Amino acid sequence: MISFQTLVAEVKNLKPIPAVAGKLLAVADHPDSAMADIAKVIQYDPVITAGVLRTCNSAYFGMKHPVESIKDAVNLLGIDQVIEVALVRSGSQVLGGSQKGYGMDEGDMWKYSVSSAVLAKQVAVRLGLKGKNTIFTAALVKDMGKIVLEKYVADASGKIADLVENNHFSFQEAEKKALGIDHAELGAMIAKMWKFSPKMVNIIRHHHLSDETKIADKQIAAVYLADCLCMMLGTGVGADGLSYRFKDQVMKQLGISAVDMSMIIAEFGINMQEVETLLQMA
Amino acid sequence: MKQIVGVADMKVSNNPGESIITYSLGSCIGLVIYDPAVKVGGILHYMLPDSSIDRQKAAARPYMFADSGIPRLFKTAYQLGAAKQRMRVYVAGGAEILDQQGFFNIGKRNYMALKKMFFKNKVMITSQDVGGNVNRTVRIEIATGDIYVKTSGSGEVKI
Repeated sequence: MISFQTLVAEVKNLKPIPAVAGKLLAVADHPDSAMADIAKVIQYDPVITAGVLRTCNSAYFGMKHPVESIKDAVNLLGIDQVIEVALVRSGSQVLGGSQKGYGMDEGDMWKYSVSSAVLAKQVAVRLGLKGKNTIFTAALVKDMGKIVLEKYVADASGKIADLVENNHFSFQEAEKKALGIDHAELGAMIAKMWKFSPKMVNIIRHHHLSDETKIADKQIAAVYLADCLCMMLGTGVGADGLSYRFKDQVMKQLGISAVDMSMIIAEFGINMQEVETLLQMA
Repeated sequence: MKQIVGVADMKVSNNPGESIITYSLGSCIGLVIYDPAVKVGGILHYMLPDSSIDRQKAAARPYMFADSGIPRLFKTAYQLGAAKQRMRVYVAGGAEILDQQGFFNIGKRNYMALKKMFFKNKVMITSQDVGGNVNRTVRIEIATGDIYVKTSGSGEVKI
């Protein structure tokens, strides 16, 4: 078991996600926000602004004239694309690197996070869900608990493997049993300490749906589904593999059939260029 | 030289200096074929069983689906002199999430689609590593036909 004080100290040592991400979400998913409000939030963070401009000027977007301000970027690419670029830029500072305890090499977690964020957005758009930027971002950062937990997972790897392979535990259940906390709980704790919105904390906390009553929350269900799809697709998946639980009820709750699920996977297959582009931003 | 097969992608080679690899299969299937007589081998990495869900996407990305990808893999190998009766066939991937049942079990459906096509066309699987809850990476060396599989978190093993 890891003591609460130890974890708090570890989280305080993490390099946090830039504050701009939280502020951006607060305006981005608010129906009354104007484009100018959003541009204003981004342009006060020089690192993110530079990153957004660099991305907008990359070959992928094929701009004829250089994009020189966030306002230009919004006019040329549309607000959704600019928000996405800014959020991904913010996340990359935390989620890059390797997590050896989970068998993830440099960049694996980042690949996985960006892929699940793109999938979550696809699910949100397909189902017409509200708050798609929140869903995108929650899917992007949901595994950040792993960054702190990985060395404890490494220390307890024998016990965790035994629980998963011989006792029908999911990886998350095994973390909880062996360490007293799982990566979803720890991720929520980090999010809380970084003053993420209560909604975001809640999605991170429940992204594996260990508490099935949370299925009623469509944003949680969407992030959960995107995570399952991402595991199935395999990109950036670590030693925990696909050892999490699949809940049919979620599909019913979201009104998703097996054919819909295949369509989302096929669409992702076509959109992989977008993932590659987002990945190169890190 | 290492040739990388992406997701919804295929590579076939007869260059003995090359190896072909595909990463992180998850529920996708990595189908590896090799004809030792002419040293022609290839890998297909498909995501879904059946292209009928979206013909347009299948036309744009035929390697995304079992039914449109598998025939192309074999035909491309035949063009380089490989023959069906000599072909060694190895299948990896098709993993599933815990409790993933029925139609939602894409990994199992991916594998069943392949089995059905092989049965109809009288193709035998030489060996395989499918199902379970693990993520696999598979590689073949064209010079020898040796196949290696790596499960995330552990080392590479020769088949």
